[in-house]
Amino acid sequence: MRAEELKGHLDAVLLAALEDGPRHGYAVIESLRQSTGGRLDLPTGTIYPALRRLEQAGLITGSWSVVGGRRRREYKLTAAGTRALSGRRADWLDFSATVSAALEGRPCPSPV
Amino acid sequence: MSEPRLISSYLAALADQLPASIVEELADGLTETHRSYLQQGLAPDLAAESAVAEFGEPQEIVAEFARVNPARRAARRLLGIGPLVGACWAAALITDRASAWPVPFAARVLIGVALITIIGLLAASALSSRYRLAARAGVAGCVGIAALDAVLITAVMFTSAPMTWVVVGAMLASTARIAFAARSLVPALAR
Repeated sequence: MRAEELKGHLDAVLLAALEDGPRHGYAVIESLRQSTGGRLDLPTGTIYPALRRLEQAGLITGSWSVVGGRRRREYKLTAAGTRALSGRRADWLDFSATVSAALEGRPCPSPV
Repeated sequence: MSEPRLISSYLAALADQLPASIVEELADGLTETHRSYLQQGLAPDLAAESAVAEFGEPQEIVAEFARVNPARRAARRLLGIGPLVGACWAAALITDRASAWPVPFAARVLIGVALITIIGLLAASALSSRYRLAARAGVAGCVGIAALDAVLITAVMFTSAPMTWVVVGAMLASTARIAFAARSLVPALAR
């Protein structure tokens, strides 16, 4: 899956990567790699500005810590980020169910 | 373990264009990526090449950081609300026959030149893919537009311009823009 195809969904994917607890940038990238089986083909360096954008939007907070003598920035979900993730997840499930039904020529399941 | 030259030069290219705190975070990620390739059994140079290739072109990363720069976002918003504030002043100038206001010709020219310069700075910030240009032009544009609004308000208050509702409306629009520019400067200067 290329970066262009991920546009519009990257924020939700990054929020989901932080759902289990705080992570630094590289750990977020590793989490994405594992959860998608390495199918996301995007320059990993561009994850960092995306994390800053989410931080500016108040959906995550970043703080510095020192690990192995290196300063490292760790991110965690805020309450607003948790709500945003929940909303986007519901929207995506609804969207994908609708499009899947249309592509497969079967009736769309009723929203729960 | 010393850092491979390829990684050092990659980080140096980023450091030329990005603030130290951002480069520090990127360096941590790149080092971890390199280490991960080493653990997979790649030779150090090949591991460095793979890590750099996975990270992406420095210009692409710089452009993404420029895009999320708070000063650039403020510049875009100021350009968006600019026509509205400008329309308020235009209405005041037309309905109150501003040409008759006792404002020296040189001052009118100066205000015009300042406005064009500020719009240029805001546009440069809003469109640039260079982080430092986006940040500096955005901050200068925010300061400039707030200063220009303050000058306009002060000029109306200290000249014998008629204080009609249209003029008061334009002054309120400028006051709101000063407040917005000042609030935008806080995150823009924090980075």
